[in-house]
Amino acid sequence: MSNETDSALELDPFFLHARREAIVIFLVWFVALLWAVPYCYFTGYSVEDPASIPTLFGVPSWIVWGIGLPWLVADLFTTWFCFSFMKDGDLGTAGDEDESHPQDAASGEESPQ
Amino acid sequence: MKLQALLIAESSNAVLITFLIYIIGVFLIAGLSNRLLKNRNFLSEYFLGSRGLGVWAFALTLAATSSSGGSFMGFPSKIYTHGWSLGLWIGSYMVVPICVMGLLGKRINQVARISGAITIPDVLRDRFRNAPFGLIAVALIVFFMTFNLVAQFKAGSEILRTLLGPIDLFGQAANALPAGLTALSPLGSEYVLCLLVFGISVILYTTYGGFHAVVWTDVMQGIVMVVGVIIMLPLAINQAGTAAIARAAVEEGAESTGGNLERVTRSMAKMVPPRKGTATLARVAPNEDVEIPSGAWVFMSSENGSTRLFKIVKRHVLTQETPTVEQADVWEIVSAGDIQRVRNRIDGKQEGDRDRTGVVTLSAIAVVDYVYGASQEQLGAYVTGPGPHRESANGFLPLSLAISFFFMWAISGTGQPSNMVRLMAFKDTPTLRRSIFTVAIYYSAIYFPLVVIFCCARVLIPGMESEPDRIMPQMAVELTSNIGMGWLAGLLIAAPFAAVMSTVDSFLLMISSALVRDIYQRNIDKDASEQAIKKLSYAFTMIIGLGALFGALHPPEFLQDIIVYTGSGLASCFLGAVVYSLYWPRANHQGCIAAMVSGFLAHLSLYCVGFLQGKGFSAFKPWDMDPVVVGLVASFAIGYVVTLVTPPPSDDLVKKYFYRQRPASSG
Repeated sequence: MSNETDSALELDPFFLHARREAIVIFLVWFVALLWAVPYCYFTGYSVEDPASIPTLFGVPSWIVWGIGLPWLVADLFTTWFCFSFMKDGDLGTAGDEDESHPQDAASGEESPQ
Repeated sequence: MKLQALLIAESSNAVLITFLIYIIGVFLIAGLSNRLLKNRNFLSEYFLGSRGLGVWAFALTLAATSSSGGSFMGFPSKIYTHGWSLGLWIGSYMVVPICVMGLLGKRINQVARISGAITIPDVLRDRFRNAPFGLIAVALIVFFMTFNLVAQFKAGSEILRTLLGPIDLFGQAANALPAGLTALSPLGSEYVLCLLVFGISVILYTTYGGFHAVVWTDVMQGIVMVVGVIIMLPLAINQAGTAAIARAAVEEGAESTGGNLERVTRSMAKMVPPRKGTATLARVAPNEDVEIPSGAWVFMSSENGSTRLFKIVKRHVLTQETPTVEQADVWEIVSAGDIQRVRNRIDGKQEGDRDRTGVVTLSAIAVVDYVYGASQEQLGAYVTGPGPHRESANGFLPLSLAISFFFMWAISGTGQPSNMVRLMAFKDTPTLRRSIFTVAIYYSAIYFPLVVIFCCARVLIPGMESEPDRIMPQMAVELTSNIGMGWLAGLLIAAPFAAVMSTVDSFLLMISSALVRDIYQRNIDKDASEQAIKKLSYAFTMIIGLGALFGALHPPEFLQDIIVYTGSGLASCFLGAVVYSLYWPRANHQGCIAAMVSGFLAHLSLYCVGFLQGKGFSAFKPWDMDPVVVGLVASFAIGYVVTLVTPPPSDDLVKKYFYRQRPASSG
């Protein structure tokens, strides 16, 4: 883009936030993959004596530590991400949107203008 | 016998009443939704709910649409068949909500508002101001989703047949169908009746109520699903734990220790997969006709004195004219604990009516072990990876496939247009944030508990490998009957039906919107009146639904494979193109079209190679990787290269979607 344009415009912060959040989410997916699959593979795929397989709360421990624990961590991360990290912003208004948007019965909340 | 009959009757009535209440609820919702269509922009309301979805509506419609019949029929059957390794198979659901909703949600909603887009092809077309791109996207959506719709119609009908099968009234109604109608399908009158009930219900409420009807029924269906799972979990652990005590006495000659779930896992560790094969069936008393119901049990003594137990898969009638049946499909139960459990169930009248020991003999028995999981070295396959498998020497979930499924659920789910269109419908960013959190909790409450419940099913109900897709309704009836609350089965069994319905209605609306909005309004008659668009929307939704219904009368083979093919194919086509469109200012239509087409071709070519190798409708999997991984890699790589070697997009497009006026204070 031209220099004139550069001076009058700036990258939309909403776009920048959304892109930053997408990168973080992709990394979280990757970390989950890096933890769950290798852990389960190395501890759950070659058990010497399955009859006495270690368990926790009755679940094979390789499932607990490989899937259950990261699932719990993922839920905690999601909670933090949604309520502390993700930025709110104005999505804009489409041409087709009602000026007087009635209450959405499914949500029970008032829609923004 | 009398008790069993009473329990079945009670459960059947409950299913029928639940089903009727459910259908009435669905039509009430459609009626309410239709009222919303008045005084609003029709297209935006009918196909996108006026971009005004709140937390519960948005969260549950996305969750319910993603959970098709597979979640409540296919997934339980896989857990039952392969054991605890399904925990890893489904593991990436820990990040599915944040990926599916968070990766694209904010940006696609913003871009759709900037451009005024109502559908995904709309977004792509307007983002690059390129009509052919929109049409390519429409063609791919219609191609994949039409196939999928036919498959889902059949799945819904089969589930309904499972639910209503034991009800006398249902059988009478099926028999009363005109012969000309039932002759349209090779699958019989019961299937045709279910298809008509399921298909017409979905078509009517979707056509009449549009997007809001679909969303609100999804909310209802989502609640049914989670309530079903929450009720089943403690019942399953408790009852399977008790059953495991008796098994331990047989297997170890000792009392089982630990909690209920501990006993279940210990019991599973000793299980050996059953053998599948054929046998010749003959009557013991030569002058008596013998009816062998499907799933009949026959105990026999082997030469060394041990007990052998066989399950006969299909119904047969041995008469004077046909005293024997050769090559009948049978399963042989191998585990001592399973054999004892079946004996207990027969003695306890739970399966007494299916015991044909002493009435039928088996000869010319030819059964084979699972390729993985049956040998002494692979003992314990149900509690370790990769899990038992009847045909694959690598087991159920080899390492490469485990990696593929991490792509499959989280990344491929993000690339589904049916999910993307919902991301265009939430009303503001707080709604998105709260919805991601809600779906995360919702999935945690459903998927991991399902693994536990159907591992318990292995201990409670042996031998279901012969009809694994019936394990969900069978387990619901078993759990509720055992506590004398057969009526509860109706609610539990409604869950898979709700799951399929919520998927079908979404797909129906997506195809209809692609035709009305993206082809008719944007290419044929740009000035079409709202009245004309309204009539066309109703007509297309109805016609597509009826077309799928007729297609499902003669459904193609390989239905499950078609569902997998369409899901991974759509992700291969759309994810790369949409990600570049939303997040890369340098992206242009050439690069994004290349990403879409190359994803399609790479994915399709693996299926073609598989077909040429004689695998039918199964893909060739290089290094055991699922085709979706190859499709996504090809799509992103080729899209990137083509973008860089073609001219950049025009300044005004980049400004429109990526820039804003610099605030005066910062200048």
